[in-house]
Amino acid sequence: MTSTLKGITLKGSAELVAEFFSFGINSILYQRGIYPPETFTRVTQYDMSLQLTTDVKLKNYLTNVVSQLKEWLFECTVQKLVLVITCLETNEVLERWQFDIECDKSAKESSAPREKSIKTIQDEIRSVIRQITATVTFLPLLESACSFDLLVYTDKDLVVPDRWEESGPQIISQSEEVRLRSFTTSIHKVNSMVAYKKTDSV
Amino acid sequence: MDLEDDTTVFATLKSFNSFISRPDPPQRLSEQAAAGAGLQMQYKRSMELLEAAEKLHSKNQYLQLDQEKRQMELSHKRARFELEKAASDSARDFEREVDRNQELLGRIKRLEEREAESAKSQSEQVEANRALRKKLEGLTQKLEERDSTLETANQTISALKDEIRELKQKIQNQDATISTQTLENQALEEQLDLQRRKYQEVSQLCQSLQSAQSSCSEHIIKIKELERRLALQEQDVVMVRTMKSEVARVPDMDKELRRLREDNAYLRENSSLLKEEVEGLRRKLERMERTKEELVNMELEKEVPSVLRSQSELQGELAQQRSKALEEQKKRESQDALVRRLQKRVLLLTKERDGMRSILESYDSELAPTEYSPQLTKRLREAEDILQKTQSHHAEMEVADKSTCVYPLFRLKIEDLEAERQRLEEQNSILEMRLERHNLQGDYDPVKTQVLHFKMNPTSVAKQQRQQEVESLREEVIRLREHLRSLQDGGALVHAQDDSSMPGSSLCLNLRKQMESSELRNQRLKEVFQRKIQEFRTVCYVLTGYQIDITTENQYRLTSVYAEHMDDSLLFKKGSSGSMQLMETEFSKTLGEMVALHLHHQKSIPAFLSAVTLDLFSRQTAV
Repeated sequence: MTSTLKGITLKGSAELVAEFFSFGINSILYQRGIYPPETFTRVTQYDMSLQLTTDVKLKNYLTNVVSQLKEWLFECTVQKLVLVITCLETNEVLERWQFDIECDKSAKESSAPREKSIKTIQDEIRSVIRQITATVTFLPLLESACSFDLLVYTDKDLVVPDRWEESGPQIISQSEEVRLRSFTTSIHKVNSMVAYKKTDSV
Repeated sequence: MDLEDDTTVFATLKSFNSFISRPDPPQRLSEQAAAGAGLQMQYKRSMELLEAAEKLHSKNQYLQLDQEKRQMELSHKRARFELEKAASDSARDFEREVDRNQELLGRIKRLEEREAESAKSQSEQVEANRALRKKLEGLTQKLEERDSTLETANQTISALKDEIRELKQKIQNQDATISTQTLENQALEEQLDLQRRKYQEVSQLCQSLQSAQSSCSEHIIKIKELERRLALQEQDVVMVRTMKSEVARVPDMDKELRRLREDNAYLRENSSLLKEEVEGLRRKLERMERTKEELVNMELEKEVPSVLRSQSELQGELAQQRSKALEEQKKRESQDALVRRLQKRVLLLTKERDGMRSILESYDSELAPTEYSPQLTKRLREAEDILQKTQSHHAEMEVADKSTCVYPLFRLKIEDLEAERQRLEEQNSILEMRLERHNLQGDYDPVKTQVLHFKMNPTSVAKQQRQQEVESLREEVIRLREHLRSLQDGGALVHAQDDSSMPGSSLCLNLRKQMESSELRNQRLKEVFQRKIQEFRTVCYVLTGYQIDITTENQYRLTSVYAEHMDDSLLFKKGSSGSMQLMETEFSKTLGEMVALHLHHQKSIPAFLSAVTLDLFSRQTAV
């Protein structure tokens, strides 16, 4: 946790948002059953109990991505983070969890901390994660073996780092979209939405 | 004898047992009567009984031993007897064996001869076998070829099936495309209909345009005419102006005419009145003259000067009125003359005008059309300009008339602008919704944004793993197929190549070897059985004189060795009860007597058959 007794700085906001992504991604992976539930362990965060993976490879991957994301959040060059769930048998994209990030670039120059209490931000994050858990009730079942990928939409002129590469947007054909809650740290605003492939049975 | 001993032993045992058991119940009865003394007695009795039992037992044993001894002796005797028998038997057997041996030696010789023959036949058969095997090999090769061809055919079939599937898919695709195209077709047809309707409307518009054009041309013609008339009228106007001055007098002259006419009329009236007055006056005159005469007569009598005065006054008045009438008559005549002069002038003027008109028309008609049309066009344009000016003037007039209609123009503009604004707002909202939708779906502007992901991400890793799994599975499948083929090939040949690493192949080979050996055994047994049966049948034929064939189930055909014709045969059927019955044949009809005698009367089939044989033999030898 950042020491934000005096307010939110750009660095602190980047850390908060990166932390949210880390826990949010873990929750989605647990809820959608991408990894078996026995590979998750329960932790307490944002005054609620969340699931965190114990799989070493997955942990490494998430740490790599989230740390890079933190840098980009600090530089305000990241626009979206997308969690794409693909079916391994048909290579079709089944679900897309998209988080739009709006960065207040004036925070870079001023560097004066902003007045927003940590508690409010945490409450907002909690409601977002609760809503993510609740959306699982109406999302279609993922019956076949699935895998996930994390895409980051950045500014065009950004230098592609070492272990990263360009990718397609992995858009779902014939999708239904649902807009979820958003939260803001007063420097970064994160809007959440989920898009899923329409099932033929409807 | 022994048995009798045994029975006596057993009988004594039985009697002893019954004896033992008998005293017990009376003992038990006497126990209650005399308990104490009885015990001693009992004990004594029991002791005596025990001793008796012992004695009996020993007797028994002695008897048994005796019996055994006797049995032993008997068995000895028997054994000796049997041994002697066996000796004699063995001697006999030995003699027999010796005979047999000799026989067998003879047989062996015969068999050796036969063996030589059979060896020859076997070699022949081996050669035949080899030939057959070669044929077999050829056939197997053909079979293999056919199998290969079958396989190829199967492959082609499978390929064709795949092709069929593909074609079906193509057909489905094409059907889908056809359906889409029919839909497009329908859409296009609808568009065509729309276009046709539009065309009809347009044609109607064209027609209306054409009619409008025709009306326009008519109007143009009318305009030309009007222009012509205008020109003429301008000329007339010019003429008229020149004539105006002369004609300006006409109203004055008309006025004078009127005045004159009025005066004329007045004068006529006056004249009429005057005439009437004159007549009246004349009458008066006459009366007056009469009166005069009377007066004269009277006044002549009375006063002659007064009558003369009145007469002179009357004559003066008469003279004045006559002069007036004469003046009015002169005036009337002068006015009539004026009127005539004016009429003449008017006639002249009209004649001049007609003449000028005709001249002008002649001028117009003489002019060439090329020179005519620019004038006409100029006149047209001028007329149009005038029309437009008049129209605008008319509109302005209307506008000027309706001073309150300036605002509606603005209102119309405002309404148009508002409608456009609403439309633009709707478009805007639609576009915003689209943008939002695209944003939710994940669209991005490639100019400003790039999408990155980690190279070693779980999806790509999982895909790679899948790919590897698939490849390994494919390799395994190929390997298993090759192994299967090798197994199938190894089964056809006897010498198997045991280089395969699978443990089940040795089992297979063993089983195959066993199978082959059992098949060989089967074959040999069949051959032996065939030979033996053939031998037996020939022996039967030779000895009994009948060849017995089984034609169908339970039917036997007998052909005699002395048969006169090949077809002469007797048919016997085995009934359900197992008895044989003679069926009628051509040959059996000729043997009616023998049938009646041997079968019906004597009820013996062998007798019948032997009778038939003797009869046929006698016939043969006799002939």
